[in-house]
Amino acid sequence: MPSARICNVKEGIQTSMSDFQIVVCGSIVPDPLQSLEPAPGSEVPVLKNEMMLPSVLDPWAAHALYEAANLAKQSEGSQVWLVSLGPKAKLQQLMMTLAQKVPFQLVALDGPAGGFTDSFNASGLIAEAVKGIPGLDMSRLLLFGGWESASRGAGSTLQMVGERLGIRNQFQGVDELEVKPGEPMKILERVEGGKHQVSTCQAPPAVLGWATGNLPEPPNNPQTGMMNMRTVMPAIQQAGPVSLETGGLSYSDVKIPEQKRQTRIVKDMSTEEVARELVDWIKE
Amino acid sequence: MEKVLLLIHTDGEGNLHKSMMEALAAALAAGKRLGEVRLCAGIVGAGASDAADKLAGSGIEKVFTVSGDDFTASRYSSDSAAAEAVCRAADASIVVAAGTSRWNRVLSGVAFRLGGRIDTHVTGFGEGDGLSVSRWFYRQRILASVQRSERPWIISVDPGSFQAWSGSGAPPVETEEVEVNLPDVPEVEVIGEKTPAAGEQTIKPDAEILLVAGAGWTKIQRDGSAHAGEAETLILDFLRKAQASLGGSKSMVDQASEGEAVISFMTHLNQIGQTGSTPRHQKGLATCCHGEEPHAVGWRFINERRAINLDPNCGWAQGKADVLYISDSFEVLKKVNEML
Amino acid sequence: MNEEFQRLSMDVDIVCVGFGPAMGGFLTTLSRELLNEDGTPRLESRVMPGMPLQISCYERADDVGFGVSGVATRARGIKVSLPDFDPAQVSMAADISNEKMIYLLDHLGTSRRPGMLKFADSLLKVCKWLPWYDRFSFELPWIPSFLRKEDGLVLSIGQFNQWVAGQVMSTGTVMVWPGTPVREPLVEDGRVKGVRLMDQGTDKQGSPGPGFMPGMDVQAALTVIGDGPVGPVGQKIDDMFGMPDNKEHTEWAVGAKMVIDLKEGTELEKGSVLHTFGFPEPEIFGFLYAHTSTTVSVGVFIPSWFRSPVRNSYRYLQHWMMHPRIWQYLEGGTLKSWGAKSLEESGKHAEPHLAGDGYARIGEGSGSTNVLAGAGVDEAWVTGCQLAEAVIELAGSGEDFTQENLDRTYVKKRRSSWVEKELTIAENSRNGFNSGFIKGMIGMALAGFTGGRLSVKGSPPAPDKLLPSLEEYYRGIIPPDELKEIVSGCYKSGDLLYDTLMTRAGWPEIPYDGQLLVSQQDALLVGGKVQAPDGYADHVVFRDPQLCSDCRNKICVEMCSGQAISNNPAGGVLFDNEKCIHCGACKWNCSRLTEEGEMNVEFSAGAGGLHSAEN
Repeated sequence: MPSARICNVKEGIQTSMSDFQIVVCGSIVPDPLQSLEPAPGSEVPVLKNEMMLPSVLDPWAAHALYEAANLAKQSEGSQVWLVSLGPKAKLQQLMMTLAQKVPFQLVALDGPAGGFTDSFNASGLIAEAVKGIPGLDMSRLLLFGGWESASRGAGSTLQMVGERLGIRNQFQGVDELEVKPGEPMKILERVEGGKHQVSTCQAPPAVLGWATGNLPEPPNNPQTGMMNMRTVMPAIQQAGPVSLETGGLSYSDVKIPEQKRQTRIVKDMSTEEVARELVDWIKE
Repeated sequence: MEKVLLLIHTDGEGNLHKSMMEALAAALAAGKRLGEVRLCAGIVGAGASDAADKLAGSGIEKVFTVSGDDFTASRYSSDSAAAEAVCRAADASIVVAAGTSRWNRVLSGVAFRLGGRIDTHVTGFGEGDGLSVSRWFYRQRILASVQRSERPWIISVDPGSFQAWSGSGAPPVETEEVEVNLPDVPEVEVIGEKTPAAGEQTIKPDAEILLVAGAGWTKIQRDGSAHAGEAETLILDFLRKAQASLGGSKSMVDQASEGEAVISFMTHLNQIGQTGSTPRHQKGLATCCHGEEPHAVGWRFINERRAINLDPNCGWAQGKADVLYISDSFEVLKKVNEML
Repeated sequence: MNEEFQRLSMDVDIVCVGFGPAMGGFLTTLSRELLNEDGTPRLESRVMPGMPLQISCYERADDVGFGVSGVATRARGIKVSLPDFDPAQVSMAADISNEKMIYLLDHLGTSRRPGMLKFADSLLKVCKWLPWYDRFSFELPWIPSFLRKEDGLVLSIGQFNQWVAGQVMSTGTVMVWPGTPVREPLVEDGRVKGVRLMDQGTDKQGSPGPGFMPGMDVQAALTVIGDGPVGPVGQKIDDMFGMPDNKEHTEWAVGAKMVIDLKEGTELEKGSVLHTFGFPEPEIFGFLYAHTSTTVSVGVFIPSWFRSPVRNSYRYLQHWMMHPRIWQYLEGGTLKSWGAKSLEESGKHAEPHLAGDGYARIGEGSGSTNVLAGAGVDEAWVTGCQLAEAVIELAGSGEDFTQENLDRTYVKKRRSSWVEKELTIAENSRNGFNSGFIKGMIGMALAGFTGGRLSVKGSPPAPDKLLPSLEEYYRGIIPPDELKEIVSGCYKSGDLLYDTLMTRAGWPEIPYDGQLLVSQQDALLVGGKVQAPDGYADHVVFRDPQLCSDCRNKICVEMCSGQAISNNPAGGVLFDNEKCIHCGACKWNCSRLTEEGEMNVEFSAGAGGLHSAEN
């Protein structure tokens, strides 16, 4: 059995190939089950009661973070950073649940995290934050993030951060990254029809926008939490306020669509009759 | 005067997928809204020059193509270079592109290189003066119209949002092959595609009907035990007979990763809803799922919706479905399969 | 234990269990005293010399302030700790602007009222011309001082807790960890040495599964227990050390609450407080608090002395909301969030040992709720502050957290405070409810007006004798044969028994509108989100399944706030942790005792629970 370090494939037996610098971009989004309502903001729309809404780490970015931690664990010398742009108080709250999951260092930017801001300007702030990471080595850099956020849902910020950092190998909708010694990285990206495109990439730097991956959410580890918090709390306290320029972007007709249908509730039909009606409908 | 560029790509064999013709319809609609415009197209990929003919009669004045073996594969470095080169050659101010996985990977980077802006997942154009695009925010929960003054403005339209353009006619459009310089040896190599492990392709974007299975399929039934095996057979049988695509609720998909009694061919790719996909199908049939809001946002683009559930007060009853059958999905699907 | 699954251990100075108002008071007070102005430790850690006390707080819910929880509190203690507190800093906080106590008449004629109450109702209906009469209700012209919340605050405890946690965390000296359930205390030679966290990566029975990680042992010189009335650590401590003489947990209630955005055009004065009694059943108390002019909290309390074998909170809450006096405000409103919680209603009767070697108890689980005033948040907060002051004193002088030292400091402070004085007055005030609603009200008045010197006697029967049978309860309303048919029909169909029986008994069907009046299941989805993280053992266990199979009055099913407990078509009951909001009602709503004399429902440590929307 050859030694292999496999990320996102059950359990690999690892030998060191290279030590990565994995920077994960991800911020808060309202907990997916909350009712959302738009409200007018000073420049772009915001969410009603935005600061009150329970929030979570953007789900796909969270997967990216777990994948990053898993890869780092298997590649001695690797480091993981999380770059988050969001209101300081909400980031602090998020860290209370996140910091126990996996080891990372936080780079916090105190600014808006809403979905109506523009990806172009957000990418500029994030790229600058990434460039500011001490000892950043482009030849070891893997830039991770969610392939789309659950707020803007555009899937455009990460690519621009990559471009701003001069990274021309990018992958989106990634469900699997396989790293084996002496071999190029193998990447599975989601494409149409429930399939994956399989590619190889010679070496970092690369951008990987993660979809769901296959890793479960890591258990809470209090030691990890204690260790992370030594750097996370100062990072939050030091986070400088940043503002996002709107430029020529404007919105109109921001609304929750009227989606209520006149539901016909069929209670007293036999199974046979229900099936017949459905078959007729399917064949229409 | 705005210069509108339709940006599309061929499939691996030189054909233009339906979504490219939808993007063409979107580009034409954009042109119409803007009034006096210049309409061009850019086609990237194998057989791009031949594919240009398929746009004849649409009103596209000129087609820029990037073809050759280097552009057959869907890859960031080559695709972004090609798209950038075409946009520059066309000097486009508005770029309307098909929102395929291939273009979605690169267009944002291209917008950055051009100093422009991008809106993805566009589903239509807004009313009023000037050009505005409609798109969804917060995973299909808030709809807004977006206007931008910066140019170029790349607008990537979601497949299924526009009626595909069809037509023909002379004269053949003017074409120009755009030269793109790539490094001799690409750092990224596309090896191929991987189909679902189960061997059964359950996700069919072009299917007329979507069957969504909820966690109820694997829960304890009225006889006091679970019937995951029977559920699998019924669902697969339905998918084959109705030529349906398969979706799952989050709780159903999560069960698969938790090692519970599950539907073996259900993966995260099937997940519909807030943290899953929002597929487009004419019809959707929900079975054994409650119809809660986060799930139902995944149904945003399903036109006709029916649900089977034992609970008359479930979410589907609250205006989310056209018809809710209070019935046992096991029994109904069994009967439906017989009849189909 | 397999070597691969080695249980890890970690040392801190103080480990805290549960983050509620009591822990908020404790950590707020303590965190201010940990560092000197120059950043050097004022209270030095023993486990990390050179550093300030290392303090970790673990909370099972996925976030602090997870629940929906409107309160009206006098906030005397909170204002002492936070003298510059500005309600504008905290979402949904407001100064109380006006307060009303309202008796609700039964406009439907379905409420089970004693004859005397019916007589009172008919008298009041004749007095419609009185200024206090409005829409089948009668406002008390005057509220006794012991019930008033004047000068206090209307708060969302969810929002307030979040704000407090933010303040505490921003000091950088205290760590609060949500999503981390504590399984049990670590006890050695009669001394609490810390806590053990719950195993992760297990199946629902607790057996190791993929990704198993044994719960870590967090060892500490002091364990602070503030895990509420149904918390696992408090329960285990009670089991291990026993309750003091004549103290036991006998009275409970479940509080079911909603946050509602009022219809456009409907406004209430911000800070308005309405307390109600008399409807839907006399034993059920209700409230409405206006957090803003357009956002209110409403709720009802279903107490254990409401002796219905199909008692439930959800449908009664909806009938309460639709009472004409309340509905004038709520009609056309939108449900924003929903939740429920068990309340320890025994007050001082259930005060456990407040301190022992290596541990101290604060808050609701320590018997700090004033059952006469219906107040608990501020009292809990104060007990936390008192413990913090004791810790500062003991740690400052290098003394150990022994029972003797904690008794001398914390318990002494508590005993000499206003909290203790008022708890003593309230101690027997509600005993009368065990003999009926009217005696209960008389008992409260007696205790309130005499400073606790007089009260009405009464004690609850044993749990298995507590509730009448269905036949007894519905005598004269539903014939026994029909009742039998309804019960077996519901078991077969999975329909809710309480729902069917209430409708049959004359309660009108709830006209669901999908916006405010939604089904109980939809409330779980519209008003919040149940967090049921994978990899934890079920926290609700039926000790002897046969007892459940034999049980006819499955009150655990009826009272389950999230419908997480349901009838098993094959006999007994089922538990679905994905619906459990951790209200703990099942813990005190089981009428079956095991051979060992324990209630058949075991409610233990678990992760998650309801995360209310906009709590």
